Order: sequence, then C-alpha cells, then structure tokens
Amino acid sequence: MNPVEIKNLYFKYEDGENNILNGVNLNLGRSEIISVTGLSGCGKTTLCYCICGIIPHIYRGLIKGTVNIFGKPVKEMSFGLVSTRVGVVFQDYDMQLFSPTVEDEIAFGPENLCLGHDEIKRRVDTSLGLVNMEKYRFEHPENLSGGEKQLVAIASILSMEPDVLIFDESLSRLDEESRDRIKKTILLLKKSGKSIMLVDHGVENFGISDRIFFLEKGKLTEIDKQEKLEGLIELYKI
Amino acid sequence: MSFIKFDNVSFSYRDCKPVIKKAKFDICRGDFVALVGPNGSGKTTLGKLVMGILKADRGKIYIDGSDVKNMSLGQVGKKIGYLFQNPEVQIFALTVEEELSFAMRIKNIPDDTINDRVKKVLEYLGLSHQLHSPTYNLSYGEKQRLAIAGILVNEPDFIILDEPTTGLDVIRENMLIKILKSFLTRGIGLMVISHDIFFIKKFTGRILKIYGGEIFEQVSG
Amino acid sequence: MNRFLAKTDVRTKLAVVICLSGIAVFIQHIYVLGAILIITILCAVLSGVSLLKSIRSTKRLWYLFFAIVVIQSMFLRRGEAILSVRNFTILTSGGILMGMEFLLRVSIVLFSATIIVTSNYREIIQGLIQLKIPYDIAFMVSVAIRFLPLLHDEIKDALTAIQLRGIEINKIPFKKRLRVYSYIFMPVLSGAIRKAQTLSMAMETRAFRAYPVRTSYLVLKFSAKDYIIIVLSFIFTAAVFVSYYVFNFPGRVLCDYFQ
Repeated sequence: MNPVEIKNLYFKYEDGENNILNGVNLNLGRSEIISVTGLSGCGKTTLCYCICGIIPHIYRGLIKGTVNIFGKPVKEMSFGLVSTRVGVVFQDYDMQLFSPTVEDEIAFGPENLCLGHDEIKRRVDTSLGLVNMEKYRFEHPENLSGGEKQLVAIASILSMEPDVLIFDESLSRLDEESRDRIKKTILLLKKSGKSIMLVDHGVENFGISDRIFFLEKGKLTEIDKQEKLEGLIELYKI
Repeated sequence: MSFIKFDNVSFSYRDCKPVIKKAKFDICRGDFVALVGPNGSGKTTLGKLVMGILKADRGKIYIDGSDVKNMSLGQVGKKIGYLFQNPEVQIFALTVEEELSFAMRIKNIPDDTINDRVKKVLEYLGLSHQLHSPTYNLSYGEKQRLAIAGILVNEPDFIILDEPTTGLDVIRENMLIKILKSFLTRGIGLMVISHDIFFIKKFTGRILKIYGGEIFEQVSG
Repeated sequence: MNRFLAKTDVRTKLAVVICLSGIAVFIQHIYVLGAILIITILCAVLSGVSLLKSIRSTKRLWYLFFAIVVIQSMFLRRGEAILSVRNFTILTSGGILMGMEFLLRVSIVLFSATIIVTSNYREIIQGLIQLKIPYDIAFMVSVAIRFLPLLHDEIKDALTAIQLRGIEINKIPFKKRLRVYSYIFMPVLSGAIRKAQTLSMAMETRAFRAYPVRTSYLVLKFSAKDYIIIVLSFIFTAAVFVSYYVFNFPGRVLCDYFQ
C-alpha cells in the first residue's frame, strides 16, 4: 500500500469556473522524493491541499476521484488525523512560525495532539536533531535567517511524525546556501523512510528527485529524468 | 556624475550588530546594478537606505546630488521608484485605472496628461485590457506589473526592485526580463536586489556583493 | 537587584499589576496615585523594562492623554478659577486636579502593562491557562499580541509605499491627506487578511483545535519568591484600602476642600 494514492482526481473550487485538476493520477511510495512542477496557477498548490487535507477541510469545492493516505480516503479522515500523516511546509516561513522560541514552535503540534510531557520532549529533541538546529532551541524565530526559519518550520512539522511531507514552494525564497542545507535535510528524511513531494515552478529540485512530474491543464505527466531539462524547456515554450 | 552615491555609510538596527559597514560606491544614471548576497546579509536594508526609508547611522547618501537625509519620501519617490518584494503592499486602489491615476490626481496633474500616461504605461506593460479591472482579480504576475506601472507613471530616473523573481515562473520571469531590459534602453537605471544569480546573469552591468556588511564589486559580462 | 522581578512567574506579575491598578482605579487621591505611580515605575524597572524605550514607543499616546487632560480640565469646574477670559472660566484648580489624577491613573495602567510584557507571550498564555482561563480566550490574546506588531509594520510599509509614489504628505492640504490615508486601507486590510489566512492554515495543519483540549509542554511553577511577592502585594493593597477608607488617611479628596 502506497502512502499516497491519487486516482482520477478532479477538483473545482466553490467559486471557480473551471476544474483546476482534471483527472490527476499519482502514486507516492515510501522513501521516495517526487517533484511536481508547472507554471503559476496550474494547480500545484491545489494538489498539495488535496493531499494534506486542507481540501476539503478548509477549502471546499467539487471533488471527484480519490485521494488515499495509506489506503484511507482523506475526506473520511478528520483534519487532526490527516495532520499526523501528512505534513506541509509552506513558502512563507515568516507566517508559519508564531511562537516565542524554537522549542515552543516545535512543541505546538504535539501539544495540540494532547501528548504527554515526556513524549513531547522526545519529539522536540528528535526533530531538532533531524534538522540540526539544537543550538537554536531557545532562540526567537525572528532572529534566525530565512534558511534557519524554514528548518524550524520543517522541524515543527516533523514533530507531528508524518509519513508524508509536502514542500509547497518552500525553497523559492531562500538563497543557494540555505537551499542546499534544506535539500540535504530532505535527503536524510527520505533515508528515514518518509515520502516527500516537492512542489515548485522551477527546476532546482530535480537533482534530488527520484521522479519528476509536470502539471499542466490539470493533468500530471511524468517527465523522463534523463531528458528532464530539455523536455521541460520544450514544455515551457508552449 | 553619480546618481546614487554612498559615502562611508554605516547602519545597524537598534541594539543589534552592524548590518552595513562603511559602504562606499557610486551608481550612474542608466546603470544596471545587481545587489547580491545571502538572505539576511543586508540587501534589502541597503535598498531601503537608498530610498531614505531607513536613515544611515554614519556617512552620507546622495541622490542626484542631494543628501537623502534632507529629502522626504515623496521627493525621493519622484526620482527613484521602489518595487517591494510583495507587490500587494503597493496596490492601493480597487481598479487598475484608479491605481495608476490617484497619485497624479492628488498632485493636481491635469486629467489629459493623466489619461495619456496611464494608457501609455499599460500598453508598455501589456495590461491595456485590464484598464477597468478590479485590482484584486489580477494574478500575481499581473499585480507585479501593475506595481511597476504605478512606479513608471511617475517617470522616475531609476528603479530599485527587491527580489522581483520571487513567485514568478519561467514565463513571467522572461517577461520581466524583457520589461527591465527595455527600461535600460530608455535610460532608466536599475538596481536589482536578488539572490537569484541566474536571473542577474541575464543582464549586463555591475554586480555588488554584500557579505558581512561590506560591499564588494564584481563585473559581469 | 536589578531585574529582580524579571524572571518571576507571569502570574506573579499579573497579581502585582492587578493590585497596583486596583488601587489606582478605586482610590481617588492624588497623593496615593502619585505614590502608586512611583511604585509601579519601580516595579517596571525591577522587571527589566527600559523606561525611555517604553515612553518613546508610546509617544503618540502621551500626546492624546495630555489633550484629554486639558479638555477634561476645561469641562470640570470646581474650586478656584485659575484662568478666565472676561467672565468665562476656562481652567479651575479642581479641574486641573482631576486632570492630573486621570493622567496619573493612565500612567499607572500603561507602566503596569509594560511589566506584563516582560514575559514572552507563550508564558503569558500559559499563565492565563493555569489560572483556568479557557484556552480559546488565552489563545485570542496571544494572536492579538502576535498580530499587533505585524499590523503596525503593514501600516508603516503602506504609508512608505504611498509616499514613494511621489506624494509629499507633509505638503498637501489636510483633506487630501485624509484621502491619501484612506488609500492605505486596501493593502493593509488585504495584507492582514492574507497573513491571518496563512497563519491559521499553518496552525490547523498542525492539528490546532483538532481536539477539545490540549496539553502543554511549558508548565509554570511558582517558586518561594513568587509566593512571597504575591502575598506581600495583597497585604499592601489591603493596607492601602483599609487606611484610606477606614482611617481616612492620607485625607479626604483635596477637591472637597474647594467646595
């Protein structure tokens, strides 16, 4: 059973005229990194929302088809449950962090899950270790650099212990050095068994991806990694 | 004759270590200058110092010969336009037409001139069909072009753009590059603050690197 | 000795502030108010508050208060006339006295607030929760604390951006200036809404409100110092009230003398 299985997904926003997603099929396995790319407005973020439960719990619309997380349909799971399976890291790191210290930020998720003190401590320690930010444990997130903030955002999602991680354009605001640091972290997460989806409108994430997909007119096409760059340039010329 | 002149400028935010240390450089009219450096290195701070949004602790900054300290934001805005990283911060009106004309109306510029300039600028940026559209319906790329239009309508001599490629896909980025290159041809100088080296390399001009608060110069081909 | 109060439990600070503000609200004697203001400022300093910084950042509020004091003085007429034009009395001694009391009261409240803010907002929320205030309310307080500086920044940015359109705000007539200010509503409002949406989405994807209750990693514990300070504060407050209402010390409201 794959962590994420999407079959024939169609989606139109409540106040939308057209379908944003027009029959998307996607399987994401364990220990795998996939890249989903496409032009602005093509529906990449909508796809992320469908997987992590934001659709249909926060945003509503007309959904046809299925999105299954470990075999269970997302729309039948409570939002709280989905958040323990799928984690999302957004583009704007400033608005994802709202606690006075890094430690508080990472503890926020587990606190919402009503976990005990020792369990929360364990998760905070593990997450900080995974992103290599232990020395910033008591820092105010505002004092960190963009890359460090994004790592804290990642850690705060990791403490929910999701099996699937989605990065929605999370690297686009960062400079090269920070991006490399995060990519290294993503590779470590892949090694530990997580399924990872990188969503972007550029080609920077292709190096660490196992498979690459192009989203256009609501349909997902897999791009051959060998010819990835040429293929994409051709596609962009459309 | 420099248009923007930094003379031993130092700046630090309150209670913090210095962000800019003894910056010294000249930018001439019509120049293209890229300001590059890692996140948090002080690029945006430098841009804000040029505009007079932040005031230098030490040293002097001159815009077209005048000390920025003695200029109001409105006066600086007449000479240099500033594109914020998020274009939505500088979109004030409900329709595109009002967005481009309200500032001119406040300055008592005659209606004919206003309509003329608005039409020209919209055509230039490919937004003519949006003249009567509500601003909140525009896509991100269109909003950015609208913000640029708002700057252009003032006929500035120089424009500073703060991380303009954030949120732009390849197609919109290429459109932006075309627009910016046409500005340079018209003699409007540009300072692009960006960490995106690939974008910068598409232009010919100077590259100023900021690292550890200090500015280093590098010429690109 | 410095910052003695800084590291105390936020609930202790809350107790001290409630005592001081309580006295300020209920007792209408200028000497008492003056003494309480001095004590409040002392507590603020002991909590590590930088007085100059607080005064500077609330500069505009002080102008407003001063204006209120002057207006209030003009409308309250008691005691001897201090300033009159022809036969019309503008300022009276009683009026000025009431105005001063208002100013003292408001200063006490402001400086008290600075004492609370020396704790970080996570501690403030936890303090409220451990005082049995429902999480929803405590959380709304934390969101407000988080959002107010953001809103302030948005307004500043919008004002900057609009001036950079070549509008010299200090040189245009008042009516036009109001129009300019009205234009900043759009970016500030849309910015605030956008930030609120992003923030709420970030929180909900971390199971916020997924369950009716939540646990807390941070647990506030009183130390001996906290208990002592709280008890002393209550004793002090009680003493002040008893001395004022029962023993009539330091004396009836000065205004009475002017009747």
